[in-house]
Amino acid sequence: MSVEVPVKATGMTQPLDSTAASKDTPHPVAMQVKGLNFYYGTSHALHDISLDFPERSVTGMIGPSGCGKSTLLRVLNRMYDLYPGQRATGEVIFDKQNILNSGVDLNVLRSRIGMVFQKPTPFPMSIYDNIAFGIRLHERVSRSEMDGRVEDALRRVALWPEVQDRLSASATALSGGQQQRLCIARTIAVRPEVILLDEPTSALDPVSTARIEELLDELKTEFTIAIVTHNMQQAARCADQVAFFYMGRLIEVDSTARMFTTPREQQTQDYITGRFG
Amino acid sequence: MEIPARQSLPAMKQAPSHQGGQKGDPAFRLLVTATGVGVLVVLGAIIAVMVTGGWKAFATFGPGFLVSAVWNPVTQHFGAAAPVFGTVISSALALLVAVPLAFGTAFWLTALAPPAAASVIGMAVQLLAAVPSIIFGMWGFFVVVPVVAHYVQPAARQIFGHVPVLSALVAGAPFGTGLFTAALILAVMITPSITAVMRDVFLSMPAVLRESGYGLGATRWEVMRYVVLPWSRQGVVGGIVLGMGRAMGETMAVTFVIGDSNHIGWSLFAPANTIASLIALEFPESPAGSLKLASLMALGAILMAISFVTLWFSRWLLARGEQAAGR
Repeated sequence: MSVEVPVKATGMTQPLDSTAASKDTPHPVAMQVKGLNFYYGTSHALHDISLDFPERSVTGMIGPSGCGKSTLLRVLNRMYDLYPGQRATGEVIFDKQNILNSGVDLNVLRSRIGMVFQKPTPFPMSIYDNIAFGIRLHERVSRSEMDGRVEDALRRVALWPEVQDRLSASATALSGGQQQRLCIARTIAVRPEVILLDEPTSALDPVSTARIEELLDELKTEFTIAIVTHNMQQAARCADQVAFFYMGRLIEVDSTARMFTTPREQQTQDYITGRFG
Repeated sequence: MEIPARQSLPAMKQAPSHQGGQKGDPAFRLLVTATGVGVLVVLGAIIAVMVTGGWKAFATFGPGFLVSAVWNPVTQHFGAAAPVFGTVISSALALLVAVPLAFGTAFWLTALAPPAAASVIGMAVQLLAAVPSIIFGMWGFFVVVPVVAHYVQPAARQIFGHVPVLSALVAGAPFGTGLFTAALILAVMITPSITAVMRDVFLSMPAVLRESGYGLGATRWEVMRYVVLPWSRQGVVGGIVLGMGRAMGETMAVTFVIGDSNHIGWSLFAPANTIASLIALEFPESPAGSLKLASLMALGAILMAISFVTLWFSRWLLARGEQAAGR
């Protein structure tokens, strides 16, 4: 079965075999980091990072604590902009535009590049309103369409059966795993192109973790995904390509299979075999 | 690590510091229980004194005490309505001014201000909150009263003087003292403390929740309105109630500028009295056992009752809000 899928970044269309999603055909690049340096005040946190995020695939970012992987994620949606003293130089090309430019509309950018955090962050409002919140920020939709969008988002994270009769109940009453799926639903409800996940399962139990990993597999048919993880097995299970960071540098990036079997760098080898980190 | 092993190793039980702790524990418990019970005792005692002290007034005038606006020591006729009216109106006006100001300042300090400015101004807000009320009273008397008399009320009369209904609000001779001035001083007094509380609750919100809002593409205002405010509702209402309590009970600053007149009228610029200012002004001239003293005590009891009712009402509002949010 072959489907025509519009490539949002370039406006072209290309046939994509959705069943096989063959790993050999390279996906077009959704987001491209070029020569990126990042500073927390005077501390130089990222050194000359260049990394491509292929469209509709999962890029796993691994490395020991403080290696800069989360920092890179926070550059990709300009979240660092909230904090004075943090700055980035270099380029992050998204939709033919360098998003580090000062003229970029951050509210629009962040609606196109969604983010899910380490801990579930449901807003103190009902389950329904949590999902509707992001949609209302950017679109004017009728009540019935909103109902549909909320249901759709909740179905896609497999939360619908669990919450359909208590949509008006508070989101904070859900379990941790449910809350995190709600946060993912909230993110995809805005219909972003890229989803950034910052260790999304580190606060969850193994069952909830497994559900979220399954979910990633489905989501990548539609979204470009970048996931930071401390868990090597998770990177191996979920990612199509893996990038290894160490002390603010990108040491190596390759397909997941090659990365975990025949890494080129000794440091990568040491880290994935558990010799440090 | 001796802490986990303490139970299993009998020798450890001989540690002298530990034994002291075991003896000290019941004593400490008694102490903190006593302070807890003490709160109840003090509250009960205050209520008892106010009610018994004011009993003579309630007995003499009956329920009419609450609705009568007469305060005439010559005819020995006293009523609570005028000072209650003054208290409620001046506090309500003060809140009307203070809450938006405090919210705006707290919002700016936590979401928009450059960090250096935020820390300096944040400090200034706390200092302002610590200024004694007598200072505000003197400032009000020497600065605000003349300004209101010479500029504010004449201007207000010029603008609203011929508008029906509104003209009544600005009527009267321009004394400068009155409800409006008192409310203004109260607003200036309570704004810093409300701001300080709001700023603290806004800052205490987990950064990641705020970032989640921004992460969906919300603006700073949208994050404030839909994420920060609902999250910190309890603290915000707490801060407002604290400010309201201070406004209703404030004595010194109000006494300087309210004009001392037991009169209920439409004009915001007419001299008036609050419960606190009336008590402060009349207490020295009220002999023990007199009906006037009893009336003042009764007013004190009413002021406490108003405070309790507002506190209860704000809690009820909060509880209802949380039900609506589905907590």
